[in-house]
Amino acid sequence: MVKVDYEFRKKIMDAHIIDTLKYCYQCNRCTDVCPIATIAPNRYNPRSLILNSFLGLKSAIFENEDNFFIWGCTVCDTCDEVCPQKIELTEVFTVLKNMSIAEGKGPEYYTTQATAIYESGKAIPSQPAIERRREQMSLPQIEPPNVEEVQKILNQTKLNTIINK
Amino acid sequence: MAKAESEYKLFQGCTIGNRIPFIEVSSRKVFDKLGIKTSEGPFACCPDPVGFNAVDHTSWLAMAARNLTIAEQEGKDIVSLCNGCFQTLKAVNHELKHNEHEKEKINDILKTVKREFKGSISVKHFVEVLYDVGIDKIKEHVKNDFSGLKVACHTGCHYNRPSEIMQTDDPMKPKKLRELVAAVGATPVDYEEEMLCCGAGVGNAEEAPSMQVLANKFNSALDAGAEIFVVVCPACFQQMDTNQKKAGEQSNNEFKIPILYLTELFALAFGENPDDLGLKFHRSRLTSFLEKFGFK
Repeated sequence: MVKVDYEFRKKIMDAHIIDTLKYCYQCNRCTDVCPIATIAPNRYNPRSLILNSFLGLKSAIFENEDNFFIWGCTVCDTCDEVCPQKIELTEVFTVLKNMSIAEGKGPEYYTTQATAIYESGKAIPSQPAIERRREQMSLPQIEPPNVEEVQKILNQTKLNTIINK
Repeated sequence: MAKAESEYKLFQGCTIGNRIPFIEVSSRKVFDKLGIKTSEGPFACCPDPVGFNAVDHTSWLAMAARNLTIAEQEGKDIVSLCNGCFQTLKAVNHELKHNEHEKEKINDILKTVKREFKGSISVKHFVEVLYDVGIDKIKEHVKNDFSGLKVACHTGCHYNRPSEIMQTDDPMKPKKLRELVAAVGATPVDYEEEMLCCGAGVGNAEEAPSMQVLANKFNSALDAGAEIFVVVCPACFQQMDTNQKKAGEQSNNEFKIPILYLTELFALAFGENPDDLGLKFHRSRLTSFLEKFGFK
């Protein structure tokens, strides 16, 4: 039995403030141009993700065993560009990814990177070897970010609870 | 249009700054030569539009807004050396400038660190800044002409998409990089997969599809006779420069393609020595390419 998750549906529709999502007529242009759907058609399909999203069929997305169904998106923004209804698909996929992370189902890379940003302010923290190399190549030192400020902001947005810090 | 005497805040980003700083070397040399002035700022991660935005959208907005306020304090525009940083900073700047509700929400968060997003500056990609200098002016600086060099141009996705916000170039047929490459005498080739993603994004989740996308990209360029790739994004650079063996294994091929940053091609054309640019830190071998054009 198909179950519509209205709360999920509202979340998706709210994210898409221009409200074009409901005008999707499933023409499949997004999937035609998607570089991932081209090489892995059985595992990643932006058209079907959009369909399940605007119908509120949360379980069809999140109860899929293969999380590549969500995380296969390479964020190339090509689908956004060709959609005849000007749906910003990538924004919808970002909502789905955020939900997947909140449920602890995202690929490890993402939370590892977010942790590095939380702890050092940078996705790739400064390292002594690279600092020496910069000096050898006469590059100026990189001004360190104010990590305390970064953490205050990210505590405010509750990122700390998402990544368990 | 470019303001002749203005100074930009340089946003090199985490990858160039803390992993492959040789890209910054050529960028600074090219900027100096063309009279583009920059200064430093205590920026945090942009943050990554593929990684961090996928973790938490609001955190991504707030962190990017904080970086923007640093440049706003000095009243200077930002020039980014990286597609990812460019897309994040430009998109968030655009979003907060045009969405009062989001701006209020983010400024509420920034209040805890006594900052406020005002929306008073612009964000540019270094390709736009070079292009605005003018093709003719760039040609005046060329000492080593790359005539005969066939180049596969790869702008990468976040340089010009989503086009409604980025407004950098044509979204599916960008021309600025091609014209810049031609300015130093080289010939941009037409190849089927010019707009194909490098595959780095999906690589965060799974390696095989990422290598398959990369192999498709390489094969298409090689079929069109390209000798080197010219790129303008450190994520694309790393994907293409370090993964040739894996992409080859994925597709029963052997790739040995020099990958150059646009600023490296320019620096060489302007007479810089390969050693001073740190070209030895590239993984893909550049020797035969450099010898062909008379560099030792």
